[in-house]
Amino acid sequence: MRKSLYKTSCILASTLMLVMSISACGSPSASENSGAPANSAPSESEQASAAPVTKAPVKISYLTFRVGTHASAKMEEEQIKQFNAKYGNEVEVVVEEIPSDSAYEDKLKILAASGDVPDVVMGKNGINDLLIKSNLATPFNEYLDKDPEWKAEIGEAAITANTRDGKVWSISDQKQNIGYFYNKEMFEQAGIKPAQTWDEFMSNNEKLKAAGFIPLSLMTGENAWTTNLILGAIVGTNGDAGNSFMNTLHPTDFNTPEMIEALNLMKTMLEKYATKDALGAGYANAANNFCQNKAAIIANGPWMIGDFSDPTKCSEGFDKKVGVAAFPNNSMVSTYEVGYMIGAKTQETRDAAEKFIRFKTGIEGQTIALEYGNVMPVSDEVQPSEELRQKYPLFVESIAVAQQTEVHYRNFDAIVYPNVTDAWKTLYPKLVFGRSAAEDITQELTDIAAKSK
Amino acid sequence: MVRKNRRYITLFLVPTVALFIVVYAVSLVILFGTSFTEWSAGRKPIFIGLANYIELFTDDSNFRKSFLNTVIWVFLQSTIHVAIGTVFAIILNLKEFYWKFARTVYMFPNIISGAAVGMLFLCLLNPDFGAVNSIVRSFGNADYAQNWFMDYATAFLSVTMTWLPYAAVVTILILAEIAAIPESLFESARIDGASEMKINLYILIPMLRNIIGTCVILAGTSMLQKMDIIMMTTGGGPGNETMNLPIYIYKTALMDNNFGYSNSVGVFLIGFGLIFVLLCRNLFRIGSSHN
Repeated sequence: MRKSLYKTSCILASTLMLVMSISACGSPSASENSGAPANSAPSESEQASAAPVTKAPVKISYLTFRVGTHASAKMEEEQIKQFNAKYGNEVEVVVEEIPSDSAYEDKLKILAASGDVPDVVMGKNGINDLLIKSNLATPFNEYLDKDPEWKAEIGEAAITANTRDGKVWSISDQKQNIGYFYNKEMFEQAGIKPAQTWDEFMSNNEKLKAAGFIPLSLMTGENAWTTNLILGAIVGTNGDAGNSFMNTLHPTDFNTPEMIEALNLMKTMLEKYATKDALGAGYANAANNFCQNKAAIIANGPWMIGDFSDPTKCSEGFDKKVGVAAFPNNSMVSTYEVGYMIGAKTQETRDAAEKFIRFKTGIEGQTIALEYGNVMPVSDEVQPSEELRQKYPLFVESIAVAQQTEVHYRNFDAIVYPNVTDAWKTLYPKLVFGRSAAEDITQELTDIAAKSK
Repeated sequence: MVRKNRRYITLFLVPTVALFIVVYAVSLVILFGTSFTEWSAGRKPIFIGLANYIELFTDDSNFRKSFLNTVIWVFLQSTIHVAIGTVFAIILNLKEFYWKFARTVYMFPNIISGAAVGMLFLCLLNPDFGAVNSIVRSFGNADYAQNWFMDYATAFLSVTMTWLPYAAVVTILILAEIAAIPESLFESARIDGASEMKINLYILIPMLRNIIGTCVILAGTSMLQKMDIIMMTTGGGPGNETMNLPIYIYKTALMDNNFGYSNSVGVFLIGFGLIFVLLCRNLFRIGSSHN
């Protein structure tokens, strides 16, 4: 017995030593999913090895949902690539890819609850509130004061949009100017032009239907994005009260005449003028319905423009058929993205995170975002290149349309609590199937907002 | 010798017990403790006694609906689902020429991830291009566009049908148990003139009591954690028509940011699961020999 115990101990000890030696050999060069360039230039490596004391790049963690088929995946990839080329020897961005927006939000919320967020965080859909409340974010005030050039590149309006009690909690990298895209051929055959009023908008829907087309590409699944853009536009253009509502962060009372009126109008649109799968459909369904000539109108931002000439997403030559318009009453959704926050815990990683964010939101980052993602920059200094103008004339048109608009408001996702954003998908079917009137829905929204902690 | 064995038994149990304490026991204690607090991310838990539980039972229609749906799904899964799997296993046990092929094909839905199954059914039941509506349209009703997942009349049934009939795990377990029963028992019955139906009803099924009980527990408790397919298809809607307790826990924790309240629902769900398992153990006398 004793002999076998001795034998077992020897085997265990040898195995342990083997494992330790392997991990010791492996650890310094362990490959990670790093955003750092795989092949450094030989001269740099040689310099680094020749130098007596070289400081290793500061590692920062960064989670992103802009991957795979995401509309901004190319933009993200290029920004990280160019950052690494410029600052790779100072900062190493360790990228973790998350497959969808909602998975990203869920993960960040769980990480925030456990107090362990990545060094660089995108503060969308309530994540910024969580980080601020949890004391996990670092304000940018000092960094901006030290670098007035960067501050100017972002612009006062974008900074103000993300300032609370004098503290700048995030840096926006893009402006959202959102109206709607329409199928010019269908409009022509129906004998209509983009509507100037909501009455005309509804009349256009009727004419499109009479001409044999489905007017609207709506969806109520996920965050009901394309539907809620129109809903928000109806509310935002309904007098001062409606406009004020759509520019209020975290509204708590949805029992307003403007909301009730808008929901009733939306009910009609979903019942009479939308595709059959609108209730419960996701963004992909709505985009597909528009791109495959099944519906005449889709509300969305300019980042969708690239899809119109992508044969894997839209029918051949579809980009030539698309026009862009502002919402009725010469209005448009106009808002600054929440952008990036610093979640890093040490001064060293905070500085490195700030460097990464400065690159992404400065002139270089905005230019990449514009050229690779059709993203509207926050700075007027960043203008589309000639190549982009040639490739995407619709993008230039959308800028011109945005410049002519007079009434502006934010979108629902940007103003409401996350639990309200999550509720639309279950509330729209209630409204359309007649289980609840618009007044009941607004009361439910009010109750849901009250539950947000 | 006994003392030495005890030492080894203790030694080998330590990793398991340690793992259980770190992964489950600590989490359970935290879950139970924080269920008596008001706690959201970014704030420290504040003790509020039974307030969360009182609200659950007196003032929360979403919780009541979620609980009711969970009970219905547990019931359906532990009865119809297990019955389907058992009958299929008995048919396959006839070892006709198709049995291996049928067993493999029946396994397919169980080897696909829940999210993929959700996507598959979203496409199959799509009101516009889904196969189900297309088949109905091909019979002459050109305007047929049933929204299976969002219409109140069909949502619950549609979600249920994404998992109820696919009982391959039950079938495999029962087939394995049947293989362990001595063939001589059935031969004796046949010599005595018993028909195949009588053999199945009076000999085979009673002898499967233990494994059927185990399948009931496995199938029933799988409904206490069912979330992926519901999230993919209805998100708990329309309204709260297809909401169950796991979805409700997700929404209260991650959407409402109300972790204390969410944990009280979690404690309730664990309690419900334990009661269900105990009931099944007693009902099927799991572990006792066949008398």
